[in-house]
Formats: sequence, C-alpha cells, structure tokens
Amino acid sequence: MALTYTKMEGNSRGFYALTTTLAVFAFIGFICFMITYIEGHQVLGSSNAIPWGMPIIIAIYLIGLSAGLHILAFLIHILGRKEWKSVIRMAVFMAIILIFGAMVSIALDLGRPEKFWRLFMLFYMNNMGSMFAINAIFYSCYFASASIYLMALLANKEKLSKIMGMVAFCWAMATHGGTGAIFGLISTRATFFSGLKPFEFILAALTSSLALLVVVIVLIVKITGRQIKDDLVISLGRFVAAFLCGLILLIWIGNLTHGYMADREALTFLLAGPFSFLFWGFQVLLGEVIPLVILFHPKTGKTVNGVVAASILIVVGVFFERLNLIIPGLAYPQHYFPGEIEGIYGAVGSFPITPVEFFLSLGIFALLALIYILGLKNLELLPVGENVE
Amino acid sequence: MPRWGMVIDLDKCVGCQACTVACKAENNVPHGSPREQTERRDFFWNKVIAASSGKYPSVRTELIPMPCMHCDQAPCVTVCPAQATYRREDGIIVQDFRRCIGCKYCIVACPYGARNFNVKEQETTEYQRQDLLPDRKSWGPWPFPTRTHGVVEKCTFCFHRIDQGVKEGKKIGTDVVPACVEVCPSGARVFGDLDDAKSNVSRLLSSRASIRLREEMGTKPKVYYLPK
Repeated sequence: MALTYTKMEGNSRGFYALTTTLAVFAFIGFICFMITYIEGHQVLGSSNAIPWGMPIIIAIYLIGLSAGLHILAFLIHILGRKEWKSVIRMAVFMAIILIFGAMVSIALDLGRPEKFWRLFMLFYMNNMGSMFAINAIFYSCYFASASIYLMALLANKEKLSKIMGMVAFCWAMATHGGTGAIFGLISTRATFFSGLKPFEFILAALTSSLALLVVVIVLIVKITGRQIKDDLVISLGRFVAAFLCGLILLIWIGNLTHGYMADREALTFLLAGPFSFLFWGFQVLLGEVIPLVILFHPKTGKTVNGVVAASILIVVGVFFERLNLIIPGLAYPQHYFPGEIEGIYGAVGSFPITPVEFFLSLGIFALLALIYILGLKNLELLPVGENVE
Repeated sequence: MPRWGMVIDLDKCVGCQACTVACKAENNVPHGSPREQTERRDFFWNKVIAASSGKYPSVRTELIPMPCMHCDQAPCVTVCPAQATYRREDGIIVQDFRRCIGCKYCIVACPYGARNFNVKEQETTEYQRQDLLPDRKSWGPWPFPTRTHGVVEKCTFCFHRIDQGVKEGKKIGTDVVPACVEVCPSGARVFGDLDDAKSNVSRLLSSRASIRLREEMGTKPKVYYLPK
C-alpha cells in the first residue's frame, strides 16, 4: 500500500499553549538580539580572548543536527531500506529548519548583522579563499537542495525525490565537512588545527542528528496518539551507536596526535585545565560513556525507552562537544614570546554566560521549534494511520 | 613600490607604554574601564607585553611592544570573507570598517592577538574630539566613515600619515613615521622600507641579528625585533 501523509490536527489546547509559549520565548530572543544590536557585544560573554560565543556554538551544533538527517535519504534511496520512508518528510523538513536556524545564529553573532548579505556576494565582494565564504556556498545551496527535495517529496515525485535525496545527502556531507574546515584549517589555535576536523564534524553530525530524529519521532508519535514499531527505533539506535563509536575514535585520534607532539600544552589545557569538567563530565561521561553503555546493554539497547534515553544524552553531549571545541580552544592563551606572558595577555580567557546571551540562545531554539510545529500543522509531513511503519 | 616594515630594538625599549598611548591618541582608539581591560574588551592597536622566564631570584623579563605585524602571509587576510581586511600594495594590512561584518574570524586566526572587536558604541566626549587625528580635514579621505561598534579594528602603521607624506614628497622613515615611532623616547622603534637597502630599517637589520615573533607560523611578519 502506498504511503500517504497528513497534516497534524493541532486544535488541542495543549498545541496552542505550546505554540504560544514558544512564540513568547522567540520574541524574548528577538528582544535580546535587538539589545545586542543596539548596545553592542558588551552584553554578551565574548571578548577579544574568546571572540566566539554561544550563537556560534549553537550554529555549528544546528548545522550538524541538520546535515546528518540526510543519512535517511541515503538509506532509502541507495540501500533500499523503504521502512524509513514514513519519517523522511519529517526529517527533511527538520533539516531545513535546522540549517535555517544555523544561518540565523551566525547572523545574530555578527557584529554588524545588517551586513549579513555580504557573506553571499560570492565571487563579487567576497574573498573566496575564506572558509566562511566557501561555507556560504555550502549553506545556501544546501538550504536550496533540501527545500527542492522536500517539495519533490510533498508532490510525490518519485524520481525527482530520489535524485534530490542524493544531491542533498552529498551536499549535506560537504556542508558539514566545510564547517569543520572553518576550525581545522586555523593553525593559530592548537586544538582546532587538524585535518581530521571535517570528518569529525561529519560523524558528529550523523550521530547527533540521528539521535535527535529518534527523540523527535518518538515524541511526535506519542503526542499525536500514534504508535510506532519498536524495531524502527531500535535499529535507528544501532546506527546512532555505530556513528558515536566512529566519532569517539576520530576525537581521540585527533587528541592523541596533539598529545604526541612536543608542544602538547593546549591539549593538556583541554583535558586538565579549568574547563576540563566540561570535557570529562558532559562530553565524555554524559554524551559518550553512558549512551554507549545503554545502547550496547543487552536489555536497555533493545527497548525504545533505552534508545530514547541514550539519544537525549547524545544530543546534549554533542552540544558540549561543540562547546568544548570553541570555548577552551579559544580560552587557551597564545604564546607570543617564549616565557610566561604576564598580565591579561597571558591569562586564560573567561566566558561568562550573560542573561542576554542565555535568552538569545533560548530564543533561537524556541523559534525553530515553533516553525517546526507550524510546519507539521500546515504541511503533509506525518504518515497516515495508527502505525508508523 | 616600497614594503613598509618596522624594527624594534628590545635593548632600547624601556616599557614606558608611550607608544600605546600615542597610538590611542593618534587613531582615536576608544578608551575602556579597568574592568573592560581585565575582561579583554578594552583594546589597544599597540600593546606592550611582558614575558618572564626563570624563577626568583633569577628572573628575566622581556618587554615586547606589539603592533600589528602586517604579515606578508597574513592569516587574517586569508580568512576574512568580506575582503574587509586586505593587503595594500605597500604591504600594509588594513581593515575597512565599511566592509567588516564583524564575524571575528580574523581574531581567531591572528597569531599575535593584534585584532580587537569593538564591543560598544563609544560615548565619551573625548573620543569624539575632532582635533584628534585622524581628522578628515587634515589627512584627506580616511577610509573609515565613523567608528562603529561591531567591527574589528587593528593597527594600520598610521598609513594616513604615510600616504600624506608620500603625496607631499616627504621622506618616509625619517620625516614621516607612525605615531608610535615618533613618540618613542628611547628611539627603540624604526620605520622604513624593507626593500630599500639604504633605509634605516635595512641598515639596522644588516647590522644585528633579528627575530620575528612566532616565525614557526609562517606568517612572515614585517615587524622585526633586535634582541638584547
């Protein structure tokens, strides 16, 4: 039987309460952005020591969440796993929202956000040697290709959706590799500089986005009173576990490479410095060890609840992986001259999370959730029937 | 075409910070509170760092004045997506505020911490003084309309002075020099054309051993230091 899709009803009181709450938080986020725009970045936690703050962490996190979702297209169209078809529309729509969110986050972090358009004056006003400018091509084309893919899916055009699915998948991988290159090509920052960074980013994207997909599918299915086959979620959990293993491997190959060099102070700073609790506590323990134990445990790994719990931890853990890349990576003071640099120029950078930055970040997430929910209500994204196959 | 560079004699530098203050005055660089300074939000186009080595009582402290190094292979130019930072023909790396979108990628990429992000609108009346240079009337077209928050700033080797001096046929390096060079009480700083074998800088560089900061980065800075 051919799959049919439907809109979410969205008439309940709970739906209106949720959309109103999200809209309020998104509006608060907008106000915080206006405060930042008028008052300058003094209201944020970033400084000349740590120039990139929460919006950039969120941007690379959202790009990761977005890009990996296209693995579903790969599974369906190349590996012929048709069972995923029921959730593909939801996934592609989510990918589009997330890349949009990433671009919004980057724009919000700019000192002069009104000049955002300058990033897209490709080959005309841009320096095309800059990874930022190259990524502008990646992001905009990715947004376009994913949108065409969704339109093809919505119009039930089998052939076009297959082609666009593949284009979007390849482009998504390139996009995330490109994002990794923004960091990996910067030789100034010791912990950034690695040829593995693009691949690390791709695996982080696959891991976090599949984990997010598990959480969102189960959540939507529960809320809309549908049922889902356990096997579908559990087999997604297997993929998540495999990608997480790959991600951990790449991260530690990178760390060992930095640790094997004679100048390993920057890595020591990451692993044992003032920010090390973020690394060991949130990234390693919460985001890697506990989810792996859950997923590989013979009992919990085969239950929907277990997979969902592990996925939530991974989604949070990958966020801290992003945070650990940027904050300690930039906080580590640069050695301009042999010896110990006295005073502020040799001090470790600090990054306080200010109220404006907190609500700005919250606003970004609220806006994306709001658009997603409105999309579910107005577009035929959910599979018809009691069971999601 | 000349290739402007600077030589700083560490033996002569006394760490008086006159160069830092002169730079602030010359280029209208905003002032900041002590709190902003500890937060690394107050900024200096020229800074003097102190690097210590050894343990008490055998301690040695080097004072290193650090303007922008105006690297021949400048990472900031490579990473800037908006062409806001570019290398002039004479080798000076300049920052165009009108083009800068404030992405801060250059601050991340600069190995010398020479770049500063302007985090707030400047309100002090002193900052707005028109008699302080650079004033358009006295120096001709200054490429930056007015200073605004949200953009990245850096040392320009006082190119407004150099351009004006070249236009008037003055000798750069002797008659006309950047503000930090002019004010240095011990004459530790020398400015001139690195490609001119007869210039002061070339003569100094051939007379003594010199170093450049973080040469391992391969940035080829145009600021040379003569060690003690």
